[in-house]
Amino acid sequence: MMPLTMASQGETNVIAKITGKDEVRQHLAELGFVTGERVTVLTQIAGNMILAVKDSRVALDKSMCNRIMVE
Amino acid sequence: MDIKIALAGNPNSGKTTMFNDLTGSNQRVGNWPGVTVEKKEGRLKGRKDVIIQDLPGIYSLSPYTLEEVVSRTYLVNEHPDAIIDIVDGTNIERNLYLTTQLIELGIPVVIALNMVDLVRKNGDVIDLNKLGQALGCEVIATSALKGEGSKQAAERAAQLGAEHKAGQMPSVFNGSVEHAIAHIEESIQGKVSDQFLRWYAIKLFERDEKVIEELGLDKSLMSHIEEHIKDCEKEMDDDAESIITNQRYAYIAKVVQSAVRKKRSGTKLSTSDKIDRIVTNRILALPIFAAIMFVIYSIAMGSFPFSIGTMGTDWANDVLFGEWVPGLFDKLLIGAGDVLRVPEWLYALIQDGIVAGVGAVLGFVPQILVLCLLLSILEDIGYMARIAFIMDRIFRRFGLSGKSFIPLLVATGCGVPGIMSTRTIEQDRDRKMTIMTTGFIPCGAKIPIIGLFAGAIFNNSPWIATSAFFIGIAAVVISGIILKKFKAFAGEPAPFVMELPPYHAPSAGNVLRATWERGWSFIKRAGTVILISSIVLWFLQGYGNVNYGVEGAAFQFGAVDDNNHSLLRYIGDGIAWIFYPLGWIGDMAWKAAVATFTGLIAKEEVVNTFGVLYNYAGEVDLMDDSSPIWAAVRGDFGPITTYSFMIFNLLCAPCFAAMGAIKREMNNSKWTLAAIGWMCGFAYVAALITYQIGGLFTGEATFGIFTVIAFILLAGVIYLMVRKNSYKEDVIRLSGKHTANV
Repeated sequence: MMPLTMASQGETNVIAKITGKDEVRQHLAELGFVTGERVTVLTQIAGNMILAVKDSRVALDKSMCNRIMVE
Repeated sequence: MDIKIALAGNPNSGKTTMFNDLTGSNQRVGNWPGVTVEKKEGRLKGRKDVIIQDLPGIYSLSPYTLEEVVSRTYLVNEHPDAIIDIVDGTNIERNLYLTTQLIELGIPVVIALNMVDLVRKNGDVIDLNKLGQALGCEVIATSALKGEGSKQAAERAAQLGAEHKAGQMPSVFNGSVEHAIAHIEESIQGKVSDQFLRWYAIKLFERDEKVIEELGLDKSLMSHIEEHIKDCEKEMDDDAESIITNQRYAYIAKVVQSAVRKKRSGTKLSTSDKIDRIVTNRILALPIFAAIMFVIYSIAMGSFPFSIGTMGTDWANDVLFGEWVPGLFDKLLIGAGDVLRVPEWLYALIQDGIVAGVGAVLGFVPQILVLCLLLSILEDIGYMARIAFIMDRIFRRFGLSGKSFIPLLVATGCGVPGIMSTRTIEQDRDRKMTIMTTGFIPCGAKIPIIGLFAGAIFNNSPWIATSAFFIGIAAVVISGIILKKFKAFAGEPAPFVMELPPYHAPSAGNVLRATWERGWSFIKRAGTVILISSIVLWFLQGYGNVNYGVEGAAFQFGAVDDNNHSLLRYIGDGIAWIFYPLGWIGDMAWKAAVATFTGLIAKEEVVNTFGVLYNYAGEVDLMDDSSPIWAAVRGDFGPITTYSFMIFNLLCAPCFAAMGAIKREMNNSKWTLAAIGWMCGFAYVAALITYQIGGLFTGEATFGIFTVIAFILLAGVIYLMVRKNSYKEDVIRLSGKHTANV
């Protein structure tokens, strides 16, 4: 398991866990970031990432990417 | 009885497009989440008894941002008769997440499977019957953009709404979760209407604060419910909210698997992704953005051969309002042998008051339209959302998130929608700070001020407009750094989470609509507020003390030739002392003070006021010299005084309309005053420092007590910027939901 920030551009991983327990995590879930979902890194600037999850593209900052653990 | 139908769906799923299609209205559509910040109402075309309600996009009924609160409050508390749930067919799994929640509301739901043309193009097949059966409601394939199916969906929803017939609720939850929810249902039965039983039960299970507050159940019942939740959490080894989320997605996955056949599996790069690889590239992103902004401002306001905005404005000022319109009125008002057909005062009112005043403002319409058009294109293709992403890591350094950039960018058109678009910002303090700084950005109405001085004093140098833009940005940055160190704003900005819509070619309809909406409000004001204040100003500066300056003579009211003797002069003199430290001294002092004052009505009034004031005082005829105001202004303003005046007027309290928007969004008079006070104070200090210290170097100002004050203020500003932040370790607060008036 590693934080998503360590994944490189173009890589697809499966979400293992999302850490933290607040509204942000719930919001991530609404956007499709849930355990078992595949997530692809499209681009990254200084840790901020554009990710493909389900059929949408979502931009997350570094602190968020760090909370998404992938297998 | 009217039938109320709500349009609900994820952001950017095409609600507003469908709303326009159904009601024949012309609401603005954008390609970034959060364009609809208020709910809008319209009647279904051909059915007078059906009201369609457009709502801001939401991802779920547990709202995260303020605009989501607007939607939830409407759906939950106002009980529409039916809901059309707009589902983006190209992103069906994520969109159905909201659908499962809408169905639980117990209101009849019709699913409009939107963007079906794109689904077909992708080669995907969706079985509408299977989908409908699994969710217990009707599914109609639509393409709002092409007008396909929308009407049918609305008619069906109206029919269901009239019958109040909700579908059979699907069994989304299972095992111990369903067990716990059923138990909660049982214990609150009779306390809520049967129709909403399931919705309340699930929300109680999720420990939704608003619902708990609304129901106000007694303690023993609450602890009984809490026991059920705890048991379930223990069994599933997860928190209640996540349990619900996971089961929803599990159910949706099952539904999608049986009803949807995707041609393309996996995550192949789309064209949109390939564009993102370039424009959000870590090295190229900023240069590309800077280049795009430079091109836009050059086209709209530069002085290049391709600057169509400037050309249009020059033509409007020189030809249209310099020759044609005054000429036309001359023809109408002056009869044979140069005899006036109307009283002389009326001729003066029309030509010097209305034509000169309103014309001065309308002359800037071409520049503003071009600027709005270009920004609308950026928005429509989807680039605006990427800008927020790119700017995030920069804005974070001075305590704002990338989402604050969109309000700032919108504010380059008009501050009012800019302030309103802060609703997409989740965190309360980020939102407040953005509202407080959005007014600093040079909006469309401030462009005339910049244009006037660039033309009059600086020989139309493009650097003036550019510097005005940077003064605005600098004010935002400095405010951010200073405010962040106060307790009310301390702490990290909310994490950046934003869905990026796919790029698409700009649609002429959307772009023109957005441009028109922005431009029209400007023109409309010229016809109303500015027309009236032109007349008032003309009167105030044309009449006054006939005996002004005559020793020993009493005040005698009458028409005056020299506006230095006018009523306006008295008003101006009364307030001019406030601005002496800013270098507004001598003959121009009262004019500058009056212009600043009228600028509060609308910023373009500043130019209008100068138009009226100088046109009257000077001997030059508008017909002979195209820029008589420029010459007169040049006589009164030195370069540093100009900057002091520009800085104050660009940064001080915005127009009344924007102040109204601030009040609405802050929903708190203390915060409203704080915001306006901050802007005025900031503007005053910045202008004072600029004039006193800058003037010292150029020789425009002399050393005096205010020079000392300027240096003290400068030191104070620097101290506020560099002092240690004692509140850095504050926790993240997401209290935005409870503050705005929704």
